[in-house]
Amino acid sequence: LLLSPVSRHVGHLTGHQYDVIVVGGGHAGTEAAAAAARVGAETLLITQKIHTIGALSCNPSLGGVGKGQLVKEVDALDGLCGRAGDWAGIHFSILNRRKGPAVWGPRAQLDRQRYRDFIQSELLSTPRLTMVEGSVEELLVTEPNPEEPGHHRVTGIRLANGSHAISARSVVLTTGTFLSGSLFVGQTTSPGGRIGDAPSSAGLSHTLRERLGLRTGRLRTGTPPRIVKDSVDLSLAKLHLPDSHPTPFSFLNTHTHCKPEEQLPCYLTFTTPGVERVVRESLQLNCHIQQDTKGPRYCPSIESRVLRFPGRSHQVWLEPEGVTSDLLYPQGLSMTMPPDIQLRLIREIPPMRRAEIHTPGYGVQYDFVCPTQLSPALQVKSTQGLFLAGQINGTTGYEEAAAQGLWAGANAARSALSMPTVTLSRTESYIGVLIDDLVSRGVTEPYRMFTSRAEFRTSLRPDNADLRLTPKGFEEVGCVSSVRYQESLRVRNSLQDALTALQALFLSTSSWKKKLPSVPISETKSTLLTGLDLLQYNDVTFEMLASAFPESLSSFMEFAQRLKIEAVYKPHCDLNKKEIERIQREENMSLPQDIDYFSLPVSLSDEVREILDRVRPSTLGAATRLEGITPAAVVNLLNYVRVTEKKKETHRNQRQQEAQRDEELCANSASLPQ
Amino acid sequence: MLPLRPVCGGIWRAAVHTVRMSRGAPPYRLFSSTCDGAPAALADADTIFALSSGHGRCGVAVVRVSGPASATALRCMAGFTQRLPPPRTALLRSITDPRSTEVLDRGLVLWFPAPRSFSGEDSVEFHIHGGPAVVTAVLQALGSVPGLRPAEAGEFTRRAFQAGKLGLTEVEGLGDLIHAETEAQRRQALRQMSGELGRLYQDWSDRLKRCLAHVEAFIDFSEDELIEDGVLNRVDVSVSDLQAEIERHLKDERRGERLRSGVQVVIAGATNAGKSSLLNKLCQRPAAIVSPIAGTTRDVVETALDLGGFPVLLSDTAGLRDSSDLVEREGVRRARERVEQADLTLVVVDSHLRSVLPDTGTVPCVCLLMHRLCLLVLNKADLLPEKQRQKLDTELRGVSGLPAVRLISCQTNEGLKAFLTVLHSSVKTLCGDPLFGAPTLTQARHRAHLQRCAAALAQYQRYRDTDLALAAEGVRLAVTSLGRITGRVGAEEILDIIFKDFCIGK
Repeated sequence: LLLSPVSRHVGHLTGHQYDVIVVGGGHAGTEAAAAAARVGAETLLITQKIHTIGALSCNPSLGGVGKGQLVKEVDALDGLCGRAGDWAGIHFSILNRRKGPAVWGPRAQLDRQRYRDFIQSELLSTPRLTMVEGSVEELLVTEPNPEEPGHHRVTGIRLANGSHAISARSVVLTTGTFLSGSLFVGQTTSPGGRIGDAPSSAGLSHTLRERLGLRTGRLRTGTPPRIVKDSVDLSLAKLHLPDSHPTPFSFLNTHTHCKPEEQLPCYLTFTTPGVERVVRESLQLNCHIQQDTKGPRYCPSIESRVLRFPGRSHQVWLEPEGVTSDLLYPQGLSMTMPPDIQLRLIREIPPMRRAEIHTPGYGVQYDFVCPTQLSPALQVKSTQGLFLAGQINGTTGYEEAAAQGLWAGANAARSALSMPTVTLSRTESYIGVLIDDLVSRGVTEPYRMFTSRAEFRTSLRPDNADLRLTPKGFEEVGCVSSVRYQESLRVRNSLQDALTALQALFLSTSSWKKKLPSVPISETKSTLLTGLDLLQYNDVTFEMLASAFPESLSSFMEFAQRLKIEAVYKPHCDLNKKEIERIQREENMSLPQDIDYFSLPVSLSDEVREILDRVRPSTLGAATRLEGITPAAVVNLLNYVRVTEKKKETHRNQRQQEAQRDEELCANSASLPQ
Repeated sequence: MLPLRPVCGGIWRAAVHTVRMSRGAPPYRLFSSTCDGAPAALADADTIFALSSGHGRCGVAVVRVSGPASATALRCMAGFTQRLPPPRTALLRSITDPRSTEVLDRGLVLWFPAPRSFSGEDSVEFHIHGGPAVVTAVLQALGSVPGLRPAEAGEFTRRAFQAGKLGLTEVEGLGDLIHAETEAQRRQALRQMSGELGRLYQDWSDRLKRCLAHVEAFIDFSEDELIEDGVLNRVDVSVSDLQAEIERHLKDERRGERLRSGVQVVIAGATNAGKSSLLNKLCQRPAAIVSPIAGTTRDVVETALDLGGFPVLLSDTAGLRDSSDLVEREGVRRARERVEQADLTLVVVDSHLRSVLPDTGTVPCVCLLMHRLCLLVLNKADLLPEKQRQKLDTELRGVSGLPAVRLISCQTNEGLKAFLTVLHSSVKTLCGDPLFGAPTLTQARHRAHLQRCAAALAQYQRYRDTDLALAAEGVRLAVTSLGRITGRVGAEEILDIIFKDFCIGK
């Protein structure tokens, strides 16, 4: 890859004014930079090594249950990771295939090199986007606003090794595990966020904590050792094949880059009692596991797994790292003991009796900024123009990072271009659920997406992410290209036409029985049934209906699966709809961010005032969800919002009238005889 | 007193649950944080009903219905098959149960088409006979009409507010009103939840949460984790057991224990102040043991009274003091619990003690601080020399914000008549307030939520083998419906159960 034409020499950037600067080149950073540029902002991405942009630091896979939904939504908003996954995937499968389309989890094993290549070339060809290598030493902010103590505005960044200051209207920080990161292997600790990369400068954490007064916390994560493939006896593990027909992530792709027959398998094996013994024997040599920094409950190290659930056999997946890679990734064996003991441990697992470790596993501890200090646009409430995305907000996972990156980037660009920021509701997307959970509840352990977090799961399906988000992304956010927008409209209209055509097929049960003899239609039902009703039957497919009514339905064959899903879920989504509308109404009533809750002339208890002042909910809906907010307080707030909106409206009308009067006066005087 | 308004939640529904059910509960949030996950069940398009007159002794009870299905209710319960009656005209009709077509009562019906009604929506009023049996029957019949459900606290008022039907002063008082409504509902719910019925609901709720956690774990983790298929089989058994139990409970005419009805008046105070003597005076028989020994009453002594025509449930409680005696400590705990649930507290103080004014931290203060309705009863007036009476008088006058005070003597009956007059008028005011403690309405609400819960569990069975996401939706709905009785359940709570029960280690 030739990066030189785009990444200018740092020196040239000094004094240059960007709309948006993105710090970090991981999943959050790349999506943020691309989204900001798509919205129309002159964007600069700064990363320590251009070469590691788009690197998969941990597992070589994308998607899964809950996470797959996020990938589909990022794609629907024209993000990168879905298409990158389709390009780099070497093993595609839809998880939960038998459990219902709402919880299908599209997932792929990735070729690390191909993924990185795709992301890098995509960024290189993105207009208005510049990439540069460097380490950010300091975040530049204005002195606090004297009228609003503690409120700053971001003005740019300063790079390390020199005094280069680069100014920007918005800055997106996606520092991942690099913010005051420390690496742990056995009893040794060293500063850093990823093995093989230089630690980030301490200046950035200092600015966040000391200058901006942001509350931070510490989280930990870890990664397993990489195993030399040839040293593993895969015949002792259980073969796990991909789907025979790979399903692409992206709504724009009809097939994946990898041909079905070229896909690579995964392997499943299990831990033995020996693994538990090694963990117990080496506990005193394991710093990371002894510290009480919060680790995830659902992606625990092998140490915490055997300690929490002793005497069991745990699953270990052996996953390919790429087409040409000589390594295997042992999913489930994240560990932080000394390297020699790691080797002892993996050799307790039958297929790895004689395995060699290429790179040992290690743990990372890093700072995150308590995300309740952010607005739903992922902007730091107290610092205008500063946006955060990814692990810095306390999340874990590529997909969670990508989703936030895209949203933070789009908003950073909008803010820089003097457009209002935008929010996504939890009623319309998993991204909305993710962001709402983060900003309104905060995190106590690394946050990961599950489908169980989405209350409208039956409506927020992977199959309809384009219908939910692409039009909004184009019309309201500006982060979607017109090509994708047109395609989404074509799909929406076709689906609508197909549903109408299905509803127009209005037959008696006996006629249906004649048309579809193989389907058990209950005779007792004397009513008429539509094609849509029929499609809700388990054993009826759209293909069957299309062959019975080719003239009205055959033109919709490309949407056969989507139509089947739509038909089955329609009654349930219709039920959800009213509740969704109610919530959206409340979310639309915004509470001004600069309210002084202590002096607000409405009847509120001191306790309620304190909660509102601490959390500063951005909408009435968010206020309603806070614990300790009484119904009476909500009514009084509602009242306040109504009254102030009415006042503003009257004020606006008055001004308009005055303007009109002025115009009329001018017109009158103009028409006066000279 | 507050203006009369029907019992009613809504946009603050989530908050209502918070306040009503789970003070001090762990932070939870819905499946719906905002999202109770009970989609259609509580949207504005629902039609709601409630008893909007007071209970107690009243000749006529008014049941109000508001929302788009009001006309349906009118059609199927008042026999208007062809066309609806003229608007805003009282008509005498037979009111029938739509399921059995049995006549429940003869009463007046009024039809208020939108927008000219209290709530701005289509509304119907049923004016029926005031007996609890009739009222219960009519409320249950309304609950069986498709699209109708009992109103949540504040709901009628909110609809009126949103329709712009409330005047400026009413809007200003709305917050206080909602506060009173939620408080009344909370007290009522506390009463019901503290008994056997409460334990039954709580047990169902715990089992349901476990079912949901296991289904969710199977959905979110089974592809990568060791979550064996047996998990779902156990859920199947649990769900059908629960469904059967709930349905059986709904059919059982006795419906568990009888709800205590009447104004809940609780006598509380320090030991040996004469609380039991006051109880005995009020019910004119020795219902409680009276002795000069402090701490004689150790459990709650409950007596039903008819006070000038109004039903009163009078409870005498153990004297509040720190005690090392285990039995007495339990008595004191129960006494505090009873005060929490009381509509009216009679705080009894021994008047010839040096200072009668409540010390900080004692019950009287607690009552005052919580804005509970209470009367301060200064007992043992007979032991009080004249000089001290004057001192007491001045002392009391110097304190602002005290509740009504009455000096009495249970020994000589001095001041008792005047005290009874004050008590009677407080009880009367409480009874005239429809907000407060109408057990029939709470019962109807519980019934509606339980029916919904059982129906949602049927959805699990229907989709179990074809679409687990839709099956799980059924369990979510069931948890939410039951949560409206026992307190909300959040996604985080379900995740906690998942991580406790399974080793998730992707």
